[in-house]
Formats: sequence, C-alpha cells, structure tokens
Amino acid sequence: MIEIDNISYSYEDSGRAALSGVTLSIKKGEFLAVVGHNGSGKSTLAKHLNALLLPTEGTVRVAGMDTKDEANTLPIRQKVGMVFQNPDNQLVTTVVEEDVAFGPENLGVPGAEIRTRVDAALAAVGMEEYAARAPHMLSGGQKQRIAIAGMLAMEPEVLVLDEATAMLDPRGRREILAIVSKLHREKGITVVMITQYMEEATVADRVAVMADGTLLLTGTPREVFMQTELLRAHRLDVPAMTELKERLNAHGASLPDDILTVEDMADAICRSLLKN
Amino acid sequence: MPIVVEKLNHAYMEGSTLAHDALKDVTLTIGDGEFLGLIGHTGSGKSTFVQHLNGLLQPTSGSVTVDGFDMADKKQRVQGRRLVGMVFQYPEYQLFEETVAKDVAFGVKNMGVPEAEAMARADEAMALVGLAPERFRDKSPFELSGGEKRRAALAGIIVMRPKYLVLDEPMAGLDPLGRRDILDTIDHLRATLGCAVVMVSHSMDDMADRAERVAVLSAGTLLRVGSTAEIFGDAKFLLENGLDVPQVSRLALALRARGVALPETIYAMDEMELALCNLLGKGAEI
Repeated sequence: MIEIDNISYSYEDSGRAALSGVTLSIKKGEFLAVVGHNGSGKSTLAKHLNALLLPTEGTVRVAGMDTKDEANTLPIRQKVGMVFQNPDNQLVTTVVEEDVAFGPENLGVPGAEIRTRVDAALAAVGMEEYAARAPHMLSGGQKQRIAIAGMLAMEPEVLVLDEATAMLDPRGRREILAIVSKLHREKGITVVMITQYMEEATVADRVAVMADGTLLLTGTPREVFMQTELLRAHRLDVPAMTELKERLNAHGASLPDDILTVEDMADAICRSLLKN
Repeated sequence: MPIVVEKLNHAYMEGSTLAHDALKDVTLTIGDGEFLGLIGHTGSGKSTFVQHLNGLLQPTSGSVTVDGFDMADKKQRVQGRRLVGMVFQYPEYQLFEETVAKDVAFGVKNMGVPEAEAMARADEAMALVGLAPERFRDKSPFELSGGEKRRAALAGIIVMRPKYLVLDEPMAGLDPLGRRDILDTIDHLRATLGCAVVMVSHSMDDMADRAERVAVLSAGTLLRVGSTAEIFGDAKFLLENGLDVPQVSRLALALRARGVALPETIYAMDEMELALCNLLGKGAEI
C-alpha cells in the first residue's frame, strides 16, 4: 500500500537529519504502530505518508504513486487521511456534520452522496447523535472522533493517527483506540498509529520502533517488546508487565519471555503455581 | 501553615441557562511539604479546583486561605498568590523571551527584584531543574527540545520560590523517559526546597509511584481523599468510578479473580514483586 524506500529528511533550519535511510513497507489492511522517543522522527515519518512532507532523499510511493509528483498530491491525500494531536486545531466549522462534510465537499462529491457519507462516517465513530451539535462543546475524545469521521467521509484507504491520543484523558484514549480497532477490523482500513504509549502499541499487528531518525526494528508487539534492553537504550519504556516478568525471572522464576499484558501475566503465574 | 479549602463551590455562568456547578462543597487541606495527587475525569473539576489555589478563580461560596491569607480579599490575595506557583498544561507554549535566562527571570523581575539578583536566581532555578546555567543561559528557548522547554518553564515558576507548587498534567506529551525525568525533577525540588506539590495527572502509574496522598474528584465533588495506599489499594472503587488503575492493581484483580491469594491492597511494582516471589516460593532469593 505504502512503500517507503530509503528516505532521508532534514528540516530547513536544522543541520541534523530528522530521518535518515528509513525503509518500510506498509501492507494493505495492516495495523501498524510506530513508537519512538520525542524527536525520534516518528511524526516526521507520518507526514511523509500523505505528501505533507517530501523526502530530501529516497522515495515514498502510495499505491504506486510517487509523493514527489505534484499531480499525485490530491489523489494521495484522498487515499491517506491524517488525524493530528490537538483536537482543537482540526475542526473548522460550527456544526459537527458540516465539519465532517468539509472534506468531501472540497473533493466535489455530489450533495446527496455527501449526506450518505456523513451519516455513515458519524455512525462509524458512534457520534450520530451529535450531528447538529457545536464541536467546541464536545470533549477532547469526541472531537478526535469527529476528526476521524471527517477523514472517513473522504473514504480513505489508510488512516494515519499522529499521536492523536496524546492530549486525551484515559477515557478519551480508550474511545479512540476502540474506534480505530473497529474500523480496522470491520472495514479493513489500513491504520498507522504513531504513539507515545507502549500499551497502545500492543494492540497493533506490527510495531515499528524509531530512534534518532532511523528505523530501529519492526516486528509483532511480542517480538518487539521482548527486546527490553534495546528499547531502554533508546529512551523507551517497556510495558509494566514485561518489566515485572524480568524482575521475577531475575529472582529465579521461569516465566515465558513474551508476556505483554495483564492477562498474559495472570495466566503465566497461575500455570507456574500449578507446577509447583 | 497549610492551604485550607472550605466548602468550596464554584458555578460557571451563574444565572444563565448554561449555569454549571463545577465544584460542590469541596473541603480539603494541603499541608506543608506534602505531595498531593489529584485525579478524576476530564470535567471532574480538577482544573477549576487548582485555579482557586492561587486566586485565579474566586469561589461562588466557601473559602480558600493560603497560610492564613484569604484569597477572596484583594490585598491578602497578592500575598497568598506569591506562595503558590502554578505550572499549567504545556507550559512551554508560554516561553517568549530571547534567552532562557531572561525567560526564567521574567516573573521575579516583575515582582520588583533587581536585575542582578533576578539573573542570579534564574541561574539557581535552572540548575535546580537540571538545565546547566552555563550551557543554557544564553540559548533561545526555541532551540530547546520538548523536555528542556518544559524544564525552562518550570524554572520560571521555581525562581519565585513558591511554598506550594501546583502542576497541571506536567508530563503530558512527553515520552516515557521524559516523563520520568520531570517526575524526578519534581521530587528533587520538593526535597531541596521543601515545597509542597499538588499534581493533577491522568497517569495512575506515575501517581501511585510518587504521591503521598491522593484526592479523587468526580463531577465536582471530592469523592475520596486518603493515602496513596488507601486510594490505589481499592482498585475496585476506582474502576467503578470509571477511573484507570495502575497496571499492577489490574494484575492483582486478575489474579484474585483466578483464585490466587494476594493481599487486597497491592498497587506498587515492588510490593507485587515481593508478593509474587513469596507465592512462587522464591522468597529466599530476595
């Protein structure tokens, strides 16, 4: 779906490369989480996925289209929708449904179809009841759901969330994670989720770890979070249960290496107790 | 002398159809030098509450006194406010001066402290938050990394030597190590300056790790206040009120649900490590 081939990128007024030599292939229908420390280049990478930024070196192709070719910019942005961090910067109108209609209107979609798309998009994020409300009266999580609906109304194939949960409270984060997982599962949308929270990354099919502008490793959440030393060396945390497993094993317990979630840990401890 | 909040009520847009009671009869005392955590949903009244601690908001009814200064009285408020340093969410957005040192010194200069003394105090504050003055003094605040900017903003408050440091989501948007750095800095400030810390955060793991006492707000009401062990030891109560609990508390619940005999109140990683080692028969190796 998206082919990132050996790209590098430097911001104009900084000498340092924000990305250097990143190669990554994002398959159609997958759920990819991208994690990394502040300044690791993960947001810069996200902005390359819909031609908001163009690589200084290397190429990015979305469904075969080179992002560097200006003729491709619009079709690429229709395929790849992006949701950003701050819920207050993304809503432009005073009525929720107008906000969701904003994208398709700009694409020149006929009126009747816009209606259908807006209704479907609001239903997909569970916000139908709020169609006639004012966006600024909504909670942060609800605003982000409207921002996602606005993207869905453009019928994208890929949804990129650039730290879309960073400014939300735990309830708002759970709402967004549940909606995104559902869209991925039920509509087959390709999801790229940039996140600071290791626990969020555990629900993805695949995790990519960025460090200092390079791609450090990719793999399933279990494969990636087993690499505790490597992650810590690059300013990243490991999930709490992974840390507890390490500590217990250091005391001589023999818990399996791929413990990630609370459920994994509870099961492993029960099995261990039965053996004793 | 403490901050005493008594029967505090705050209504937004009182008298209009949009009237909304943001705080209802909140009574709470914040003691000298303590670390109080404040938890609750968005909209529970946490931010409204902390804005009363330095008189940014005035009670609809009830009272707030800071070391005896009544924050409803204009003259006393000026004195009370000097004791309370407020660090808002994303404080780095408020940096604006040419150099880090000037930015840090801005508040004290406004208080009428002479230039030379203000700059000396800025150096001291920068050192306290872990920004080496000789390296950072003359830099533009906009050249700093996200974590460094936040430290600079924190130094701009510390420089006023507050007795109470109030922080609203100080770790928001930082990566895991950045979060830990800020928490360590807060602990360090408390240890060296002896100031009390009031911290609002959604991060239960961090709260469980650092706070001494925790207050739970819900829909404008103070639901519960107690030691960190009392609050987080009762994971069921927090979950029933729609709040998150530390991962370790979740594990304790999951294990008890599977019939494993664990003490009710475990919430910290160290305690869990010890309890599980004992259970698994490895206690001797600790």
